[in-house]
Amino acid sequence: MVRSALASNRRIGQGPVSGAPYVPAASVIAATFLSSLPVVSLSGWFPDFGFLVLIAWRLLRADAWPSWWAAPLGFVNDLVSGYPLGFSVSLWTAAMLVLDLLDRRTAWRDYWIEWALAAILILAGEAAQWQVAAWMGAAVPFSAMIPSIIISIAAFPVAAWMVGRLDRWRLGQQG
Amino acid sequence: MATPRPGWSRRAQYGLFFGFIAAIAGLVIGLILLGISIAAPRTFKDLRSLALDVTAPLTIPLHEVTATFQGIASGAGDYWDAARQNSRLKAENKAMREQLIVARAVQRENRQLKAVLNLRERTAETVAVGRLVGSSYQSPRRFAVLSAGSGDGVRTGMPVRTAEGLVGRVIDAGTFSSRVLLVSDRASIVPARLLRTGQAIIAQGRGDGAVELKPIEVGRNPFRPGDIIITSGTGGLYPPMVPLARVLRLEGDNAIAMPLADPGESAIAIVQKPYEPEAMSSLSQSEPGPP
Repeated sequence: MVRSALASNRRIGQGPVSGAPYVPAASVIAATFLSSLPVVSLSGWFPDFGFLVLIAWRLLRADAWPSWWAAPLGFVNDLVSGYPLGFSVSLWTAAMLVLDLLDRRTAWRDYWIEWALAAILILAGEAAQWQVAAWMGAAVPFSAMIPSIIISIAAFPVAAWMVGRLDRWRLGQQG
Repeated sequence: MATPRPGWSRRAQYGLFFGFIAAIAGLVIGLILLGISIAAPRTFKDLRSLALDVTAPLTIPLHEVTATFQGIASGAGDYWDAARQNSRLKAENKAMREQLIVARAVQRENRQLKAVLNLRERTAETVAVGRLVGSSYQSPRRFAVLSAGSGDGVRTGMPVRTAEGLVGRVIDAGTFSSRVLLVSDRASIVPARLLRTGQAIIAQGRGDGAVELKPIEVGRNPFRPGDIIITSGTGGLYPPMVPLARVLRLEGDNAIAMPLADPGESAIAIVQKPYEPEAMSSLSQSEPGPP
């Protein structure tokens, strides 16, 4: 009895997978490449998968990557998704900085607060996208952005769940 | 930034601090890049073309797979009510044949009249044929990815059309694929004409798949639901007489129309030379087009 209670649950080969520190960044890049899937759609209502996965990782773990990694990750997103160059670089880095500052303020968090934070970031991101499009001569009414904002906010828990599974796999935890 | 206080380790404290500085530097660089992208969209042309070529091996073969599955699905749907569809198509075919004869006669007469007037007839030259394999389905901008690039002779600014109608124009040309600004993008403005009355109008995209039609002359609303809009050829970029859109509903002095070429349905697209070659040179210099 005592012996089995003291024995570690860990089995051989269940430690962190090799390259575990780079799994979060790699998953963001993989999500970014979803935008080059051959979907020809009339309306741009799909969420920005790269951004969703990025904030899901950052809300799950503060040490997923050093904050400045968001800049090169955003650069990849700009190139692959066809955003104006520099848009994701600044948006993603700003999101990391905002969350860093928020981490100093918040005493506790639960799922609802995380979802609310993600919703605010998504809203800010879509508003920035709308403003940049307006500056580039494509001023759509803001009401046209509402479906994509709602879809993105609704899609965040899915991204958070997948990121959670990925995190368990990368750290070799069971369950 | 993990925890506000990383403990007493100097190394950890410095690491945290420099990470913070690096993030701010990243933000500043991003904002500068964004400012350049907005002010001078053509600056990063080569970089964007390169990125198109990097993603092309992913997009183009996957499109074949999805096209096959879509084909199976719609093919099965066609079998479902084949008899009714068959009789409808026969009736349509008969009506079309009659119209075709009239159209041929009109075309011949038109050619003769043009010869009398000594008008130079320009034919829109086909540069390349490709497939619409992707789109910007995450953003309010409307772009599509075409599987033909500068290797096939595609250049920035060339108009793109399908058999059904005008799709848009090329804004980034990679070696194997290019990015097309669709007519439904907000930044796309196409000089057009109402087919029924010949009135000159302007078609601007709305960003949600539809286009907004504005009459150039102020007056009572000339549109009727179901009206066909064709390009007028004004400005010299788009060739004239290409079908553009069908009016859905009226809105004040304007009308909302759906483009006839649905980039999701019509897979094969043709890249043409600009109708007037001069339009291209002025376009590449002055136009502050999209990225």
